[in-house]
Amino acid sequence: MAILEVNDIASGYEGVQILWGVNLKLEPGKLTTLVGSNGVGKTTLLKTVMGLIQPINGSVSFQGEDVTNLSAHARANAGMVLVPEGRQLFTEMTIYENLEMGAFSPRARATFNQNLDKVYELFPRLKERTRQKAGTLSGGEQQMVAVGRGLMAEPEVLMLDELSLGLSPLLALTLFEALTRLKKTGLTMLLVEQNVTMALAVSDYAYVLAEGKVHLEGPARELSKNDEVRRTYLGI
Amino acid sequence: MLDQLISSLTDGLLLGFVYGVAAMGLTLIWGVMSVINLAHGPVIALGMFGTYLLFTHLGVNPYLAMVPVAGAGLIAGLVIYVIAVHRVINAPHLSSLLATFAVNMIIIGVGTAVFSTSPQNIDYSLGSVEVGFLTFPASRLVGAFGAILVTACLYLFLYFTRPGKAIRAVANNRMAAELMGIPSSRVLALSFGLGTMMAAVAGGLIATFFPFTILSGGPYELKSFVICVLGGLGNPLGALVGGLILGGLEGLIPTFMPVSWVPVVEFGLFVLVLLVRPTGLFGAK
Repeated sequence: MAILEVNDIASGYEGVQILWGVNLKLEPGKLTTLVGSNGVGKTTLLKTVMGLIQPINGSVSFQGEDVTNLSAHARANAGMVLVPEGRQLFTEMTIYENLEMGAFSPRARATFNQNLDKVYELFPRLKERTRQKAGTLSGGEQQMVAVGRGLMAEPEVLMLDELSLGLSPLLALTLFEALTRLKKTGLTMLLVEQNVTMALAVSDYAYVLAEGKVHLEGPARELSKNDEVRRTYLGI
Repeated sequence: MLDQLISSLTDGLLLGFVYGVAAMGLTLIWGVMSVINLAHGPVIALGMFGTYLLFTHLGVNPYLAMVPVAGAGLIAGLVIYVIAVHRVINAPHLSSLLATFAVNMIIIGVGTAVFSTSPQNIDYSLGSVEVGFLTFPASRLVGAFGAILVTACLYLFLYFTRPGKAIRAVANNRMAAELMGIPSSRVLALSFGLGTMMAAVAGGLIATFFPFTILSGGPYELKSFVICVLGGLGNPLGALVGGLILGGLEGLIPTFMPVSWVPVVEFGLFVLVLLVRPTGLFGAK
C-alpha cells in the first residue's frame, strides 16, 4: 500500500491555477523522482502536499488517512517532512539549533540523539562547526544542514525540493551519495531535481509532470530510456 | 558643574533601563511578526494601573504586584493577538497598524471611563540612596535592577528554552518553522503576549517613579519607537542599550537647555538615525 497518495490535486496561487489534477503515489521504502521543466508546478505540488498551499480540489492522504485539512505543522508532526527549495534555514541560528528545531515534534524528540548521530555521520562537516550560524555557511553546507534538519524530524516520508540546485558538481555528488545511503536505510523519499540524469539513476520510480498533470510515469530505469524523456529532459 | 552633570546622567541612565524594557516589548513583537503594536502605550498604562490597584486596594507591595501584572499582561497580549492581530497578520502593514490602533483607542476609552484622567500615584517610598555626592530615589535603583532582571530572563528564555528557540525560528523563517512542525500561529500569539507583558511590567516600574493617568503610556510608546530605531528593530539587547542612550540624553539635555527641548532632540536623533543608519546603531539585520 502507498504511504503517501496524491489524488487529483488541483492547486495554484491567487488567480493562477498551476496543477490540473495530479495523481501520485509513493511506495514505502522507495525513492521516487518528480521530473518536469521549470515552472511546471513541482514546487507547487510539494507545497500543496505539505499544506502550505490549500488545494482547489483533490486530496492528500498519508498512511491511509486524509490529511488534506491538516496544517503544515501537523503534517510535519505526523512524519511528512519537506526539505524546501532554497534551503530556508534559520540563518540567524546555529547549526545545532537548526537541527534542534528539526526535532521539534514530540515524535522526533524521542529519537533526538540517534538522529543527531546519524546526521553527523552522514555529514561529518556539520559536526565540526555546530556553533556556527547557519547563514554564514557555504551553499553546500547549508544544503547539508537543510537535509540534516529534515532527517532530525524523524520523517516517514522525506521530500527534497531541488537538492543540488546551485551546488558544484562535487558537492552535488556528495549529496546524492547521502541520498543513496538514506535509501539503503529504507526511508521513503520524493525527490525533485533539475539534474534529471542523476535523479533517474538513483530513483526507483519516476513521474514526469507536464502542463499541470502527470504526463508519464514508470520505473525510473524505463523512463530514462524513453525517447521523449531523453529528448526533453536529458538533452540527448 | 561636573557633579551636576554626573548626577543628571545617573538619574537618566537609571530611568533608561526601564525605557529599555518598554522598548523590548515593542521590538520583540516587531522582530517576530513585523507588526508595529500601536496598543503598546495603553498597555503600559494598564500596567501602571494594575500595580496601583493592587497596591492601594489590596495593599500588595508594588514590586510584588508586578508579578500578577506581568501574568495579566501576557494574557492580555494573547487575547489582543487572537482577536485583533491574527486575522491581519499576513495583510499589508497598514491593516495591523489600524487593528492595533483600534485596540489602543478601546483601551484608552474604557480606561478613561473607569479611571477618569485625573493623575494617580503610588504612595510608596523606599527613601533615597546616597553614593558619594549622588543622591537619588531608591525606587530608581530597584527599577533599574528589575529591568536588568527582566532582560536577563527574556534572553535566557529566547536562547535556552524550546519555546524561546521556537520564537526565534518563527521570527527567522516562519514557513520553515511550520515545515519543522512548529505551530507558528501559537508561537506568534506567545510572542505578542510576551511583548505585551514587557510593556505592562515597564508600566508597573514607571508607576513607582511618577504620577500617571490612563494616557501616560503614549509618551513611553513614542520613546520606545525612538529606542527601537536606535537599537535596531527586532534586537532586544539593542533596545536596552537604546533605552540607556535615551535615558542618558534625557538626563543631560535639561542641564544645557530648557526641558521642552528634550523631545526635539530625541526625535531629531530618531530622524537622523533613520537617515544615516536605518538598521540601528547596532546594525542587526
